[in-house]
Amino acid sequence: MSLYRIENLEKRYRTGEVETLALRGVDLTIEEGEFTAVAGPSGSGKSTLLHLMGALDTPSAGEVYLADTRIDRLGKRDAARMRLENLGFVFQAYNLIPVLTALENAAFVLELQGVGRRERERRARQALDDLGMAAFASRRPNQLSGGQQQRVAVARALAAEPKIILADEPTANLDSETGHALIELMRHLNREHGVTFVFSTHDPRLLDSVDRIVRLEDGRVSGEETRGGNARAEA
Amino acid sequence: MLALAWRNLWRQRRRSLTSLGAVAFVVCLSLLYYSIGGAAVNSMYRNLTHSTGQVQVHVEGYRDLRDFSAALIRDAARAESTAQSAAGEGLVIGVLDVPGLLIHGDRSRALALSGRQWPDALRASYLRQNPLEGTFVRPGDTGSVVLGRSLATALDVHIGDEVVMYAPGTEGFGAGSFTVTGLVDVLDPNLASRTALVSLAAAQELAAPDAVSRLEVHFPDVNRVQEDVVSADTAERLRRALPGLSVESWRELSPMLVRVLDSIRPVMALVTVIFFILAGLLVVNSIYLGMIERIREFGVLMSLGASGRRVMGLITLESMLLCSAGAVLGAAAGLPLVGLLARGFTIPGLEQYYASFGMDPVFYASIHPSEVAFAILFALGTGVLAALWPASLASRLEPVEAMRFTA
Repeated sequence: MSLYRIENLEKRYRTGEVETLALRGVDLTIEEGEFTAVAGPSGSGKSTLLHLMGALDTPSAGEVYLADTRIDRLGKRDAARMRLENLGFVFQAYNLIPVLTALENAAFVLELQGVGRRERERRARQALDDLGMAAFASRRPNQLSGGQQQRVAVARALAAEPKIILADEPTANLDSETGHALIELMRHLNREHGVTFVFSTHDPRLLDSVDRIVRLEDGRVSGEETRGGNARAEA
Repeated sequence: MLALAWRNLWRQRRRSLTSLGAVAFVVCLSLLYYSIGGAAVNSMYRNLTHSTGQVQVHVEGYRDLRDFSAALIRDAARAESTAQSAAGEGLVIGVLDVPGLLIHGDRSRALALSGRQWPDALRASYLRQNPLEGTFVRPGDTGSVVLGRSLATALDVHIGDEVVMYAPGTEGFGAGSFTVTGLVDVLDPNLASRTALVSLAAAQELAAPDAVSRLEVHFPDVNRVQEDVVSADTAERLRRALPGLSVESWRELSPMLVRVLDSIRPVMALVTVIFFILAGLLVVNSIYLGMIERIREFGVLMSLGASGRRVMGLITLESMLLCSAGAVLGAAAGLPLVGLLARGFTIPGLEQYYASFGMDPVFYASIHPSEVAFAILFALGTGVLAALWPASLASRLEPVEAMRFTA
């Protein structure tokens, strides 16, 4: 059973009289434990695809299944619950809560889940430790570098032990060295803890360490590559 | 969530402090307002009940009787004793009002001479309000009278002078000579020129042996309306003990005053609501701006799995924390002030005005715990109501659009 199954996904945006097709019939499956990059130039539909996978937006057509449960037509409350129970998010702009410490940020999703204080602190500390951020637990985001903030954001996603972490251009605001280090860290978590990662990027230098690359172009999957040289061009 | 809500408040320190200060000011103002309103209500209650008692006993239909004798309660000593048994801790006193003419030299004034018993507690209370020069009425003394200063001036009487009371058509001697032993400064100008006080024995000797116009039941320690839980019960017990006589509590005796007293608190509650609406507008402004500035953040929270209700709860919590802190500060400032005013205060320039209504110009601030709770609950309610609109807006945000939002 695939973790994610996406069938003929379309997304149209209308601005006044102008209609933009952000996704044009995307089919995709993600297996448990995969470490997948969705690559493509700006405007290719990467973020839109991740938003639809996270039920943050509703598609114009097509279907999205998470563990065989259809999630593309959930109401707001059910979608929020589904995200809380199954997904972790990492954003390009880190999006940590500025008034909370690194530890509190890492524990935030656990608090939303209703995990008790002691347990969520333990798990948040463990997640920060896994990301090499234990020493910065009491710092607030404005006291951390961009790379450190993004690692806290990954810890936040990781601490809740989601089925999958969706990361929308997590390295876009980082220099290439820090970005590469973060991808390596995520890769490590994927291997050691079996966490499934799907992240979007338009930086080709970051794609060396992924299992699988899904290339998007003009809202379509233009090709897929798996590590080991298997490549498949689409349409 | 509590820590997050509290810290969020201090992102815009000045704005939050302004709103918090407004709530604190309103809570403080409300407490002062209630305590001063309470002072006025209790002052009216005290003035009324100290002069009339909490309960009165008359003959049936006394209001329509024109004949002096027909309005008398006969066998007063027995009636008083029966009433005292029924009144429990209440102080029962007999009062005899004698219509007549007070004469000094070639001057005279028509008045109602008041003969009454003066237990210590009532005498002290009366003299606190109506300062005395000379000696007050002594129990059993049948030859002394205390006059209101205005009456004494009108009759050109001084302490030590003799006056004659003429009470035609009554059942006693009908006339008597009294020595003026004291003068009282009566605050109520309507009473000032008519006050002549003698002992009950003196009045009975003059006009109606062993009879009284009325029995009054006083509870001298009950000084606040809220504490008056005895009047109605006592009146009921007296009705059973004294069949054939008319028994009325102060509420039945002074329906106009009761209407005034009963309307004061609703009016105060209404004014308080207006205070809190004004403060609430500031809180709404603060919470709304805070919400607009954090729309992206709410988008992130929702992306992470926070439901709209959760976001709504966070904003409401922030607003309630702001108002709670304001309420605590306001109460901390207001209650000591109320304590200070509870020692007694006057409103400069209005002493005569209050005196013209027979009210003690010295007010004693008084606040009931329920009113403190009311003010604090109002502050919390303001917090909830002020958050409703911004919280509702935030709860309806679409996560993706919210994360793209730029203020």
